[in-house]
Amino acid sequence: MDCRINLPFNPKPPTIMHIDLNSCFASIEQQANPLLRGKPIAVAAYQTPNGCILAPSIEAKRLGIKVGMRVKECKLIYPNLQVLSPDPWKYRHVHLRLREIIGEYTDKFSPKSIDEFVLNLEGYPAFKKGMVAVGREIKEKIIKHIGDWLRVSIGIGPNRFLAKQAAGLKKPDGLEEINAINYEEIYSRLTLTDLNGIKKANASRLNLTGIYTVMDLYRAGIPNLKAAFRSIAGYYWHLRLHGWEIDDVEFGRKSLGAMYSLPRPLVQAQEIAPILCKLVEKAGFRMRRSGFMAKGVHVAILYRDHCFWHHGKTQTDSLFDSRDIYKKAFKIMSASPYTKPVANLAVSVFNLEKVKSTQLDLFGNNRKTSLVSALDKINSRWGDFVITPAIMMGMQDKVPDRIGFGNIKDLEQFVIGNTSR
Amino acid sequence: MNQKVDVPIATLLSYDPKTRQVKPILVSWNGRDYPIIKIGLHHSYRVGRTLFHVFSAVSDSIFFRLVLNTDNLFWRLEEISDGLPD
Repeated sequence: MDCRINLPFNPKPPTIMHIDLNSCFASIEQQANPLLRGKPIAVAAYQTPNGCILAPSIEAKRLGIKVGMRVKECKLIYPNLQVLSPDPWKYRHVHLRLREIIGEYTDKFSPKSIDEFVLNLEGYPAFKKGMVAVGREIKEKIIKHIGDWLRVSIGIGPNRFLAKQAAGLKKPDGLEEINAINYEEIYSRLTLTDLNGIKKANASRLNLTGIYTVMDLYRAGIPNLKAAFRSIAGYYWHLRLHGWEIDDVEFGRKSLGAMYSLPRPLVQAQEIAPILCKLVEKAGFRMRRSGFMAKGVHVAILYRDHCFWHHGKTQTDSLFDSRDIYKKAFKIMSASPYTKPVANLAVSVFNLEKVKSTQLDLFGNNRKTSLVSALDKINSRWGDFVITPAIMMGMQDKVPDRIGFGNIKDLEQFVIGNTSR
Repeated sequence: MNQKVDVPIATLLSYDPKTRQVKPILVSWNGRDYPIIKIGLHHSYRVGRTLFHVFSAVSDSIFFRLVLNTDNLFWRLEEISDGLPD
């Protein structure tokens, strides 16, 4: 028997805060260079016409420039747009400073990405100040201690979903709350696709069951929602919109990888091999630094004609040495049935397991493990890629350091590892 | 215009023990002195074990990306910009 019951809106005072740094990369660039402030600028993966926009400034967004557009498209909208290359260490620095400020209020916080944090103040002294007062204080501290150009949108809610939703209500520089008193008024202003996680496909599914508005979704019974989503997801949406927590889950590391958009199309495997090798070296180093070995390798290729091919392979032996990962990855890549210009190449390792000192014998070759560890130590001491496989010669400028919006799992470890040297 | 460069640069640094702030106050570049009026951001990174401090600094009309190598205490200018489009 299904014992799930329709719940009222959570009457608990909101204790969750979602902090989102507005136009993160572009705002940080404007923070660093005051001469760029108030101007439409964008950070792009590459400054070339086909480079992908990663972060437009607030001024550029107002002109219609969006994340994911090509540089050439943006220049048609605004020819004077200034396009900058990403500077990952600047963004990591701001992320870590934000982390320090947030840590003054609670240790129950988690970074959701390079520019987003979720805090829970339940049971912490700061909660007595009031969530809105804490939000204001955090904004002031960011301006005072990190940068006077940086603005954050803060959302407060009884659960993570509503806190994030509240953070999106006013951008930039918002401070909004969704609670048991105002939720109806706020829901009535939103459309289904305004909800984080509901896009056109889900909205169509909901429409089919007679749900057209957020208030319809809020009022819908659990059986109706389960029918609309055809899964337990319907029940989760009921909980989210009623302010009950369902998203307080931290996912562990499942894979590690590296990706590169080729600035010029390459077709032949021997031309692509050095890039594949560098991607493997990056992924392998990060894997070992995180204390893992892998039992699977995956290669994904996006061709210039937008055709996508990918393949992964698992095996019984654990992989630790980048050279072994490269051999597997090259074999997988060579199995691609296409001989077309490659636009994007990605390699990842999966089926990760923690390296335990007692397991080192499993490699059957401790000398190899020692050699890999020694090479990693040299690269850590003198800089990445000081010692590389010969195939990577001439690759210094290829596959530069990049930072993902979503992937900050190894950021702290990376920095702690650096500062403790 | 934003231009990447990589040249040594003469830099005057000040340390204020009261505010515990360290910042470049003047750079000499291309035969001219540029007083620094604002530090937009100060961050650091490592290459291997070598720590580099990056000061994003502006005079009245020019932005300088100044990098201090803490191994040899040499300064390099890595980027200049006037904030105008290319």
